[in-house]
Amino acid sequence: MIESINNMETILNGQITVSLVVGIMAKILMLLMLFMSLVMIRQTSLMDRVIKLPVGGAIKSLVWGFFALLFVLTVIVVLA
Amino acid sequence: MTIEVLVQLGMPEIFGTDNKEDIQEVIDLEKSGKFRSIFGSFVVTPPKTRFESQDEDERIVILGRRHFITNLKWLTLACFAIFVPMFWGEFPMIKALDVNTSFILSIVWYSALLFYVIQSFVLWFYNVYIVTNESLIDVDFFGLLYKNINVTQIAKLEDVNYSQRGLFAGFFHYGDVVAQTSSEQRSDDRSEKSAFTFDHIANPDLTVKIISELMEKENDREHK
Repeated sequence: MIESINNMETILNGQITVSLVVGIMAKILMLLMLFMSLVMIRQTSLMDRVIKLPVGGAIKSLVWGFFALLFVLTVIVVLA
Repeated sequence: MTIEVLVQLGMPEIFGTDNKEDIQEVIDLEKSGKFRSIFGSFVVTPPKTRFESQDEDERIVILGRRHFITNLKWLTLACFAIFVPMFWGEFPMIKALDVNTSFILSIVWYSALLFYVIQSFVLWFYNVYIVTNESLIDVDFFGLLYKNINVTQIAKLEDVNYSQRGLFAGFFHYGDVVAQTSSEQRSDDRSEKSAFTFDHIANPDLTVKIISELMEKENDREHK
C-alpha cells in the first residue's frame, strides 16, 4: 500500500509538485470567480431595475468592466 | 374657478398639490444644499431616481442607505489585503512554489479582492430605504442571490422611532430606525424588529421627523 503511494509519480507518469496542485486550484478559483462575476452582473442589473438611480449605468459599466478584466486574466491563468 | 383659487380656499389635497413641498423640514434641507449627492447616505429629493412600484404622482422625499462609515470594516480589510502578497515570502508553503505559480496566485488574490470590494460597494449602494409622499420602501439585498423588498403606505404606519447605540453611532451620527405597521409584517431576516427596520442609517432623527410629519399629514387628510 505504502509502496503504491510512493509510486504515484510513476502511475501518473509525471511529477506531482505543490506548485502543480496550487496552480490547478488557482485556475479553478479563477473560473469560479468568472462565474460569480456573471452572477454579479445579473444581480446589478436586477438592482438597477428595482431602483433606477442616475449612476446606475456607471455601476453596471463597472461590473461589466470587472467581468472583462477577469475574463482576460482567467484566459491568461488557464492557458499559463 | 381655477385650481390655484381652489387650493387657496383650502382644498389642496384634491388637486395633488399636497406634496413634499409642504414639509418644512424637506424645504429647509433642500435650501441648505446639503444631502444632495446620490452617493450620500441620506439624499433629499434625489433627482432622476425611480423605483419599481412607483406611481406617476408619487415623489421620493428621502433616499437613504447605511452610513458610509459602516463600510469601514470591509475597506480596512481590503486595505490590508492589498499588501498580503508582498509578504508571501514569509509563508513557507508559498515560498516553496515556483515563480509562475506565485504570480498566478497573486493574480487570483487581487482578482478576489477586487471582486470583494465591488460586491461590498454594490450591496451598500443598492441596499436602500425610500420615503415617498405616499409610502415607505425598504430594499434589502442579501448577498448576490436574494432580495427582499417591503412596501407600505404611510397611512398604515403606526409609529416610528430610532435608536443610536455605541460610540461610533453617536460620533458619526447614525442609528436604527424602526417603523411599525399594524400588520406586524416581518422581513425574512428575523433579526429585524419590523419589516421596516433601517439599520445604521445616517441622520436617523431627520428620517423619523420627516416620516412623522408625513404620517401626521396623512392622518389629517383622513380625518377631514
